[in-house]
Amino acid sequence: MQPDRTLSWDWYPGKVPHNVVIDETAYVETTFSFYLFRSELPVGVKYGRGASTYLGTMFDVGPRGRVELGEYALVHGARIICDKEVLIGDYALISWNVVFMDTYRLPFNSGARRKELERVPGNPLRVASAEVPARPIRVERNVWIGFDACILPGITIGEGSVVGAKSVVTETVPPFTVVAGNPARVIRQVEPGDQNLSSFSGPI
Amino acid sequence: MSDAVSRPPATGASEALPPGCWTQGKHPENVRLGPNTVVTDDLAFKRFHSREPDALVIGAQCTMDGVHFDLGEQGRMVIGDYCYFTNAVLLCELEVRIGSYVAIGWNSTICDTDFHPLAPAERIADALACSPLGKGRARPPILKRPVIIEDDVWIGPNATILKGVRIGAGAWIEAGSLVTRDVPPRSRVLGNPAQIVGNVER
Repeated sequence: MQPDRTLSWDWYPGKVPHNVVIDETAYVETTFSFYLFRSELPVGVKYGRGASTYLGTMFDVGPRGRVELGEYALVHGARIICDKEVLIGDYALISWNVVFMDTYRLPFNSGARRKELERVPGNPLRVASAEVPARPIRVERNVWIGFDACILPGITIGEGSVVGAKSVVTETVPPFTVVAGNPARVIRQVEPGDQNLSSFSGPI
Repeated sequence: MSDAVSRPPATGASEALPPGCWTQGKHPENVRLGPNTVVTDDLAFKRFHSREPDALVIGAQCTMDGVHFDLGEQGRMVIGDYCYFTNAVLLCELEVRIGSYVAIGWNSTICDTDFHPLAPAERIADALACSPLGKGRARPPILKRPVIIEDDVWIGPNATILKGVRIGAGAWIEAGSLVTRDVPPRSRVLGNPAQIVGNVER
């Protein structure tokens, strides 16, 4: 990371916002990922050791939103729509075009929705920012999420679980479970196996 | 993404867009935009091929952020007022009509065509016509049916709306849904294919 918080390899002429905390071993492919980032919390995004985000990842984070990426979490192009909290655990593998939304951003009631849509054109960023209740998303350690999947507000995905490509997760997923489909259904369980890190090839 | 003018601000954090940041003023001649409607993204009209007069008419106060208007030669599209679309892909070979106060989430697709024929022999003819060697060759007939989306509809991210569908006023299309049939007004649908899972209060 450069002192001025630009990235020497970046194609986009942006900077890393001051309240994005990036571990020195983490990798950010482009600051374009932060163009919708507007969190005002002291820490809006935190990258753990060896975490990485690649092109297509978009932190669409509201003023009170907070996103945390665990150690070695690999986010290969997710849309993170966060007004409260999205936690992605250690060793998580997140594929392209995955949507995490802890909020619907617009009210369910169509009258209230009209009022918000009438406010959007007056907002310089042209984003919806209604006071819609947000429910945190929690992706636990060692989860793998396939491309185009959607994770709806309030969902927890348990440790070691797998979400199939194009699934829409509407209910909490227990640990070590494979889910797939739209809406997602349990397909089977997976064995945790030997999780002793020292049994893998050499130290990092 | 190549033109600096159309880019959003380079830093995130609640910084206002500088004037002129939106791609404005270089729309095709048969596109009409209402007052205070903005269309961003250099790719918005990259696949806009319609030759119809007033092929695309968008009402007032709309935000079309990163939307792709992919209209075929005979495509016609009308969008009402106060619509809010982010990074939607709108594929129109015939007709797409969208009401007012419609919100469409990121990476959603709306199409009024099958793109290719279903019958295998006709698909061979289509592959030939579409190939670099098929110039001037007529394509076989392809199924197209208008898509109609009424007022106050919410469409979630990663949703897909297929040809011939009418979505009733106030309906809520949950994220990731694949909508293959008409949706009654004020119903909430989810799934692939999308099924009614509830209703929306008035």
